[in-house]
Amino acid sequence: MVVSRPYLPRTPAVKPSRGTPWLFLSPFLVLFTLFYIAPVMYAGYLSLFIKKRAGFGAAKEVFGGMANYVRAFQDTEFLSSLLNILKFGVVQIPIMMLVATALALVLDAAKNRLQGVFRTAFYLPYTIPSVIAGLLWGYLYSKNLSPFNQIVTALGGGRVDFLGSDIVLWSIANIVTWTWTGYNMITLYAALQNIPTDLYEAARIDGASPWQLTRDIKLPLLKPSLLLVLIFSIIGTMQVFAEPFVLRPLGYVPDNITPNTYLYLVASRDGNFSYAATLAILLAIFTFLMSAVFLRFTRRGGEL
Amino acid sequence: MVRKEKFTPLQILALTLFAIYALLPLWWVIVTIFKDNGQLFSTFGLWFGNKSYLSENLNTLFTRQDGIFTRWAVNSIVYAGTTALGSVVVSAMAGYAFSAYEFKGKDALFGLILATIMVPSTALVLPLFLMMQKMGLLNTYWAVILPGLVNPFGLYLMRLFWDAGFPKDLMEAARIDGAGEWTIFQRLGLPLVRGGLVTVGLFAFVAAWNNFFLPLVAVSREDLFPLTLGLSVWNQTSSSSGQEPIYTVIVLGSLISILPLVLAFLTLGRYWQGGLANGAVKG
Repeated sequence: MVVSRPYLPRTPAVKPSRGTPWLFLSPFLVLFTLFYIAPVMYAGYLSLFIKKRAGFGAAKEVFGGMANYVRAFQDTEFLSSLLNILKFGVVQIPIMMLVATALALVLDAAKNRLQGVFRTAFYLPYTIPSVIAGLLWGYLYSKNLSPFNQIVTALGGGRVDFLGSDIVLWSIANIVTWTWTGYNMITLYAALQNIPTDLYEAARIDGASPWQLTRDIKLPLLKPSLLLVLIFSIIGTMQVFAEPFVLRPLGYVPDNITPNTYLYLVASRDGNFSYAATLAILLAIFTFLMSAVFLRFTRRGGEL
Repeated sequence: MVRKEKFTPLQILALTLFAIYALLPLWWVIVTIFKDNGQLFSTFGLWFGNKSYLSENLNTLFTRQDGIFTRWAVNSIVYAGTTALGSVVVSAMAGYAFSAYEFKGKDALFGLILATIMVPSTALVLPLFLMMQKMGLLNTYWAVILPGLVNPFGLYLMRLFWDAGFPKDLMEAARIDGAGEWTIFQRLGLPLVRGGLVTVGLFAFVAAWNNFFLPLVAVSREDLFPLTLGLSVWNQTSSSSGQEPIYTVIVLGSLISILPLVLAFLTLGRYWQGGLANGAVKG
């Protein structure tokens, strides 16, 4: 569409054609369709089929409607994996966010060379792949070589089995906390650094104490970042896989400690891809609902 | 000034305690790579043994299974490097489209792409496994690289960088001068969002380097493993009976596998923190 404007001395700019933005989008959209949309649709399609075994013959895939979904809601192993991850999230996410917020506030309180040293130390764990973190902590937990146990026994205590079935969930929570607290702390710290100084100055003139500064200025302004950290933590928690997976050979880790480890076993051990796809879809829906609830909740509430 | 020059002792204490927590496993790694398997069990875990076995460990690491560890390292570099480069190009172009143009359905499309951040990777990787099986892509480099090229979070960050760093009047002016749309993007735009390209590339590199689930499912040939998968398999075989355990060698391999990331963050950390600040504030 070239609109002629005869009174302009220069030639008018050629307006880009309507297709131009789509040309820029095309590489992303092609890959996005192939590797995001198609798999999700395919998983949805697969979830409608069930494995049927007739006599001694090989199992066949037949249309089952919602049968897989009905099965999932009666599958105690799956339900207890969800319960596990719920317990995990309810304990681990608040602790991690509390520590990350506190550290970010402390780090923001002064400006000197120490600050950079601490910041580097804090985010170093994030750079370590979760598999490697799982391996390293796995050895640190291992009954016979754990330095923690060496210290405990030297002090006359009994050995703790960090990989025992009753506490392994919390040992995994510790690995996740170790990996992500510093990362979240940097996110929050960066947001604090972005607060304009004149806001502080104004509060200062009004005679606000450091605690009031924190409560009335810093925390409210941190709200969007806290919400972002929360949502990403929920998404991440629902997907915990690598840590329990690498801990398995080192100790007793239940098959269904997280939904993802259970799902992986359903696919790899039982070869039941349609049921695994059903579980994956349910997991996606739960994640989505949980994030939506928190988004809605915090938006309507106005203040955190 | 609101920010003081010095931390109070209590603040120092809190920061130090957390720093110890963050660094303790890494200290254990440094100590452990000097030990052999016997010393691992017989000496105190947080201090060195009386004799160094570092050269023996290095030797085992690089010669075991005909030096397959080197192959894994090369694979990791290929996977993460290609993924990072490709995803920067793809995200930069798409982010530009969202930032610089108006078109029908823009907000809905952007919302849809962002919503997929919530889809668990298992929900993608399981059906992808079956799809790639049919296409004959399993056990190829492509199986690990292609899915990583689309990165909704990278697109989101990249759009923010375009919004902040590329004034739209500049675009109009260039058009009046007769520049084509691609020239404006490439010559005028890209240099202005260089920081964004580094940030998005860094995120994509870390995500690909750390990826475990995708290679676990997509490649079963050991010579195609990345470091993460290879070391985890060694850990499995090392823990099963009848094998001589090589835990300290695995720890040494782990240290080598994290070095590139640590170096990248020590040198490019400021870009990364800038990216986080942008993403968080506008999110």
